[in-house]
Amino acid sequence: MIPNLFEIFATPYLLKVPLMWLAVMAPAMIIFSPSQHLVTGRYILLKKWTMKQFIKQIMSPLPTHGYKWAALFTALMITLTSINMISLLPHTFTPTAQLALTMALAFPLWLATVVIGLLKKTTRSLAHFLPEGSPTPLIPALVVVETISLLIRPMALGVRLAANLTAGHLLLQLMALAVIHLPTPMWPATVAVATTLMLLTILEVAVGLIQAYVFVLLLSLYLQENI
Amino acid sequence: MAGPDSGTEHQFTGIKKYFNSYTLTGRRNCVLATYASIGLIVLYFKLRPKKNPEDGK
Repeated sequence: MIPNLFEIFATPYLLKVPLMWLAVMAPAMIIFSPSQHLVTGRYILLKKWTMKQFIKQIMSPLPTHGYKWAALFTALMITLTSINMISLLPHTFTPTAQLALTMALAFPLWLATVVIGLLKKTTRSLAHFLPEGSPTPLIPALVVVETISLLIRPMALGVRLAANLTAGHLLLQLMALAVIHLPTPMWPATVAVATTLMLLTILEVAVGLIQAYVFVLLLSLYLQENI
Repeated sequence: MAGPDSGTEHQFTGIKKYFNSYTLTGRRNCVLATYASIGLIVLYFKLRPKKNPEDGK
């Protein structure tokens, strides 16, 4: 019987209730559990320091009136990072491998940056569709190409995150199946595959962190163009 | 004249003053003209009278 390799990406249900919302909210709730202490401790200081470094990195290219987006970007980064990290545990569900979630995050945020640009700086936003110094005969083609490039952005944003997570988790499952099902006389091969599996897990940790950062970074770049 | 392109507008004359790929307003006008042209072409093909096969007999 051929195992269904994509079963790990199916939304979990409990008594016919989908647990997607729990899978999305639980990681962030673990990190942001309310403190029992009035005086800050090491954990809260560490969280504050991490958030401060991230905000400085992401928000420094933006003008002052763009700083109101800092809370949204930080929350998004923490949510995506925590979801990606927790989904690396065995037998857990990966919400960010679902296109429904990644597109639901990417499309409205991208649309918000475009609408803000069109409303507040209409001339500059429209001028972005034509690169400066373009040759005159190429102007119509370049405008069409830049328009398509703009409309593709939310799809690229959502699919990039989902595809990276899906591919990584699928590879981990394939290698884990290989380690389990290889016969005992082939123990050198099993050791080699198990070593590769460990290295791949480390890579998946890096991919999870990087993809969350890239998602937020690209959104901040789109905002930078339009604010 | 005040504006984002005040330093460069005097380099262009005629239609190039409004449609060029160097100034913000020039680029904006080129983009709007391209969209208007595409819209007009689409409108033409939608509104043109469809040829009736009985007219050919």
